[in-house]
Amino acid sequence: MAEIVAAALAAHAPLITGRPEVSRPEQRDRLYAGFHELGRRLAAARPDLLVMFVNDHLQNFAYNNLPAFCVGLAETYEAPSPGGAALMRLTPRTLRGRPDWAMALLEAGLEAGVDFAYSYDIESWDEMSVPLSFLLPGGEVPVVTVYTNCAAPPLPAPRRCREVGAFVGDFIRARPRAERVALIATGGLSHWVGTPQTGCINPDWDHWVLDHVTRGDVEPLARLTWDEIERDGGNGGQEIRNWIGLLGALPGAKGEVLAYEPVAEWITGCATVWVQP
Amino acid sequence: MIPVSYALNKLLTAVARQHQMKEAFTEEEMAGHDLAPAERAALKAGDIGALYELGANPYLIRRVFRRRFTI
Repeated sequence: MAEIVAAALAAHAPLITGRPEVSRPEQRDRLYAGFHELGRRLAAARPDLLVMFVNDHLQNFAYNNLPAFCVGLAETYEAPSPGGAALMRLTPRTLRGRPDWAMALLEAGLEAGVDFAYSYDIESWDEMSVPLSFLLPGGEVPVVTVYTNCAAPPLPAPRRCREVGAFVGDFIRARPRAERVALIATGGLSHWVGTPQTGCINPDWDHWVLDHVTRGDVEPLARLTWDEIERDGGNGGQEIRNWIGLLGALPGAKGEVLAYEPVAEWITGCATVWVQP
Repeated sequence: MIPVSYALNKLLTAVARQHQMKEAFTEEEMAGHDLAPAERAALKAGDIGALYELGANPYLIRRVFRRRFTI
């Protein structure tokens, strides 16, 4: 039987790798250490597959077609692409997808009433490339993506993200083959991007979120409204939908915060969290 | 909910996908787009605050008008 052998929550922001020199060294070192520790634990769990809860930043889905939830069926992911690599100062590389696995998830979802959209061609940005540069330095494990609309409101309700995550978790555990699956959710915590408050970070809200993650208490997060998140966590804070999805897949699982740094220069409250499955 | 302007987001998406950055838009660049007068004025002025209020997606504002941001 398939099992979930590892789970991690991590910030994504292009500047984390793209402009390391502008951050305060002690903050950068602590955050990078958190990323590297996630990478070590992930490698020790020997996953066969990474299932990623991530979000688009309008590079794939524009206002003529905006799925709430989309399963990636891509054969490969450029993570990053040569263009994105310059911005994020990463080496361009191609990661393998698992379209067969993703198709099974998609079909099971549609059968069960989880009406995923799907895409055979996904352009990944920092949502995959930046955290995976630490978590999967060798790029040897294939990935499946579940994209949730976190960037172009109206957005799916956090409670629905939790339900979709729960479906993904149940799907994995019901797989008949022996597979070792790791879950990774990226994004958050508080940040304001492109709004009049650009550059703000709200560490109080970030700690509130992390406290609930640490206790495995997802319900208050799943009850959040778009307005509450926008007010306290900013438009970038809406990305905690990815975290809520992952936590939905692992009911009762508790997080261990390896690092939290509100990095003003990267305009993001950045966290790395291990979740014991 | 914040307002959403399809016209603004359609134009900004097209520019963003060409990896172009702008300080402001010219009349020529806006030609053929079904923009309201206030939207046209905000694009022409490169007024990122007004664009947000008018319903442009902030991620698109950030990408296209990156140089207008101080941080």
